[in-house]
Amino acid sequence: MDPRHPLDFLTNPERFMAFSRWAAPLLGGLSAIAGVLGLVLTFLVPEDYQQGDTVRMMFIHIPAASISLFIYVCLGIASFLALVFRQALADLAAQACAPIGAVYTVLALVTGALWGKPMWGAWWVWDARLTSVLVLLLFYLGYMALRGALDDEQKAARAAAILALVGLINLPIVKFSVEWWNTLHQGASTFGAKRGDGLPAIYAWPALLMGLAYLGAFGSLWLVRIRALIWRRKARSLAMKLAEGAR
Amino acid sequence: MSFDFDAGKYAVYLWPAFGVSAVAFAWMIADSLAMARRWRRETERRQAELDELKS
Repeated sequence: MDPRHPLDFLTNPERFMAFSRWAAPLLGGLSAIAGVLGLVLTFLVPEDYQQGDTVRMMFIHIPAASISLFIYVCLGIASFLALVFRQALADLAAQACAPIGAVYTVLALVTGALWGKPMWGAWWVWDARLTSVLVLLLFYLGYMALRGALDDEQKAARAAAILALVGLINLPIVKFSVEWWNTLHQGASTFGAKRGDGLPAIYAWPALLMGLAYLGAFGSLWLVRIRALIWRRKARSLAMKLAEGAR
Repeated sequence: MSFDFDAGKYAVYLWPAFGVSAVAFAWMIADSLAMARRWRRETERRQAELDELKS
C-alpha cells in the first residue's frame, strides 16, 4: 500500500510536478471550451431592455471581479501556510498567483469603467465598491513589489506573506461594500442576490460559462507559473552546486 | 436566435472591453508559458553542466 497522503502533491514538489503536468493542460482545455461556449451565448442572448448591448459587458466584468477576489483568498491561504508551516511549495504558490490576480483586478476595473461610462455617465466614481477593488489591486501590486524589493528572498517572502494576510481584511469590504454603504455600483445580482434583483435566467448560462472559463484559466495559469518557479528554484540550486564544483 | 454583433452606440465601449480582456489573457498565457519554458531549459542546461563536471 502507498503510505503517501492523497494530498501529498500539494506539499511535495516532485509529486506536484507530476500532477500539474496533466492538470494544467486539462484545466486550460476545459476553460477554453467553456470560454468559446460562453462567448457564443454572450452574443446570442437578447440585449437588455434598460442597458441595451452593454449588458454583454457583464459576462466579462463579473467573472474578472469575482475571480480576482477568489485569487486573493488563494494568495492568503498560501501565504498563511508558507508563513506558519514553512511550506516552500505554498510560498511558490502565493508568488505565482499574485500577478494573475493583479491582471484579473485590472480587467475588472477597466471593463467596469467601460460599462460605467455609458450607464452612469462616469468612468470612475469614488464609491465604496470601486475604491475597495482599487485597494485590492494595490495589495496585489504591493505584494509583488515587496517580493522584488528585498535581496534576501526569505525575508521578502515573509514580509510579502504578512502583507497578503493583512490584505484579507479588504475582501469582506469589497464583497459587502454595496450593502454597507450607499454606492452607485449595483448590489449583488448573482450569488446572494435578493429576490427580484437576480440575474434573468436567459443571462445565467453565459454568466456561468464565462465564470467557469475565467476560473479554469486561473487554475491552469497558476499551475504553469508554480511549475516555472519550481524549475527556477532548482536552477538556482544547481548554479550553487556548479559554483562549488568549480572551486 | 441569431448572433447580435451590432452594439450600436455602445460599440465604442463594448468592443474595447472584449479587446482588452482578450489581450490580457493572451499576454498571461504567453508570459506564463515563456517563463516555464525558460526555467525548464535553464534547469536542464545546468544539470547537464553539473553531470559533465562530475564525469
